[in-house]
Amino acid sequence: MSFSTYKTPSGFLLPSIHSAPPFFTQQPNAATQVVFTEQWTRLILAYARYRRLFTVRVEDAEVSGGEWDEVLRNPRINRRLMPGQLAHILSVMVSENLAMYEPAKQTRATLLYWRLPEEWAEVLYEWQVVNTGQLNTILTFYEISEPPVPSELSGIPQSLLRSAIAVLVKGGRAQLISISDGDGVRFFPRNAK
Amino acid sequence: MTLQRYTRSVDGTIPISALLYGDEDSYASQDGVGIYDGVQKSINHQNGTVYVTTHRLFYIDTTKPHSRSFALDLSSIVRTQYYAGLFTSSPKVTIYLTQETSEIMDSDETSESWLCEVCDFRNPPGSSPSGAKCALCGVPRSKAHSAAPIPPRAVSAPPSSAHLLSSSPPAPSAGRLKEVACPACTFLNHPALTECEICGTALTHAALPMKSAPSSRPGTPIPEGAGDENSMLRLSFRRGGDKALYAVLKRSLLGKAWQVRAKTIGQRTTSTNVERFGIDGLVRGVETSAQSAQLDMNDALKDLDALMVKAREMVRLAGELNERLTVVAGLNASSGGTEPDTATFIRSSLVQLGLQMTDVPVTLDMAHDEKRWYEQLARELAGVLQGTGGKNGIGMMRNRGIIPLDEVWGGWNRARGVALLTPSQFLQVLPHLPAYTHPAIAERTFHSSNLRVLHTPTYTPAAFAARLHGMLLISGSRTTLDIAQEENVPVGLVAEMVDEAEAQGVVCRDEAEHGEVSWWVNDFQGYVWDGQDT
Repeated sequence: MSFSTYKTPSGFLLPSIHSAPPFFTQQPNAATQVVFTEQWTRLILAYARYRRLFTVRVEDAEVSGGEWDEVLRNPRINRRLMPGQLAHILSVMVSENLAMYEPAKQTRATLLYWRLPEEWAEVLYEWQVVNTGQLNTILTFYEISEPPVPSELSGIPQSLLRSAIAVLVKGGRAQLISISDGDGVRFFPRNAK
Repeated sequence: MTLQRYTRSVDGTIPISALLYGDEDSYASQDGVGIYDGVQKSINHQNGTVYVTTHRLFYIDTTKPHSRSFALDLSSIVRTQYYAGLFTSSPKVTIYLTQETSEIMDSDETSESWLCEVCDFRNPPGSSPSGAKCALCGVPRSKAHSAAPIPPRAVSAPPSSAHLLSSSPPAPSAGRLKEVACPACTFLNHPALTECEICGTALTHAALPMKSAPSSRPGTPIPEGAGDENSMLRLSFRRGGDKALYAVLKRSLLGKAWQVRAKTIGQRTTSTNVERFGIDGLVRGVETSAQSAQLDMNDALKDLDALMVKAREMVRLAGELNERLTVVAGLNASSGGTEPDTATFIRSSLVQLGLQMTDVPVTLDMAHDEKRWYEQLARELAGVLQGTGGKNGIGMMRNRGIIPLDEVWGGWNRARGVALLTPSQFLQVLPHLPAYTHPAIAERTFHSSNLRVLHTPTYTPAAFAARLHGMLLISGSRTTLDIAQEENVPVGLVAEMVDEAEAQGVVCRDEAEHGEVSWWVNDFQGYVWDGQDT
């Protein structure tokens, strides 16, 4: 009995465990369930990074036709992840700081940290310095998430961007500025202080 | 006329003994007898045999026994007269008959079956009218035989009764003299009535006879001629034997067997040795048996009480004996006495009898004895489980590796037949079982359901898990049912075992939507990511 990997139409290489039917069932055995949750977490983050997906909702497991179908369903073995199990996986991810509920105070939609806010901060800073060289100028959030030239930051949710900037502000490399049409940010050179 | 009024026709072709009532005895007989009806010779009864019984006087005609024979109830005789005869005149016995109380039935019912008024049961003949009771319900036979199914015979019935239109049942004809005519409608009422049966008018029992009333009005007819001559019969003994028969007749009349009979029946109703039939008999029988059962029970319980008292004495005695033995044993302890064996025997016997001594703890010696007992039981159980045939047949686990405890207990007790074991005793035997079985049979409890089973080494958790793992490796996945078929073990037991294997992480489940659970080898513990590189 061996399972094989599978390349989805979008080009993502699904791990072999994804073709094992038990992988889609909630296991009463806690140890087994931990292994499965771990693999699901890894799979969800990998797919999110591959497809640049920032959120996953419990609805994605309930209704087909979404961006997550390739992962949450396996029509080749006629299995799909049950919404309850997805909710369980998400709660584990939140508790491990691999995701956060967005908006807060609910458990049906999460923002995925396939990069941690600290990593995003680095990415943001590098992009700012290397790609634009616009130090000391003020950029709006819109300019960052919807740049004319697509970047790694394209489409980044505001809340994630805000926490990334918060990391930079803490390190003295950026300053949050309130301007008329929304918030803006000014970056400082790394050795400014 | 007297003949017709007082006698009943009988079939003389039947032997006389068959005509008698059950309680009637025949005393004497004389042939060559002629009958006078009143003072006239009765033409049809001039040569016959007369029988005298305790109840009746029979005349069986010699020439035409079928049609001319008759019987006369002795109860209707008031007195008799003997005439010794002179020259050509034969000796005669004159019988004077009562005019008032005679009860001549319309029909010859005593030799026929009769219908009970209450339950409509057709009773067989054989008992005199006064003593007859329904064989089914026990109700005495009614005097007024309204339900008698046999139509009145023309021979014995008064001629005028044929055209009766009366609403009352055909009443005894001789009772007419006391009937009371209603002053308003002239209906002849029964003397017991105080109101007219027809119109309700109060009756005066001293009412004058109704001269204007027609003689054939409703009611049974007034007997024609109530004179002395008309209530008299004569027996003419043409061939002698008159004295002997007359003596017997007198004796019968004095004996008044018909009255005695009625009296004894009345007394016997309370006695139990009377033969009874029907519902009455059944009810009485049930009552009797219930009564005797009650008595037996009381006796038995008395015995039990006595036994209990004795048992208590026994226990006390044994306790005293035990104490004394213990003291002696204590004294002999230094010198290595052998008394403890005896004490142990007494104590263990008491325990096995269920007679616990309150102040004596269960000692090690007793436990030792019990242990031996349980070991023997374990040996027996091993035979029941693994026997190769013989008395107990093939052992229960000969072809089965795993078997629920309740089934074993039931099977063992069935095999024992007597001296059944309690579940608690059974459970105490189980720890000794592996020592006496080969392969060793052990007990196992499933955690999820607390179901307890006995199993061979093949079905230890580890062995089963290993086998299951191998099976799933080859086949991919299996449902519980598949596994049960492969293992030849009941599904319920397999489910329990697979659950335990799952708890150990050997297998993992796959629940398809709305589908059955299938089991997979849990090889994901050390899974290495082989998907998209990140």
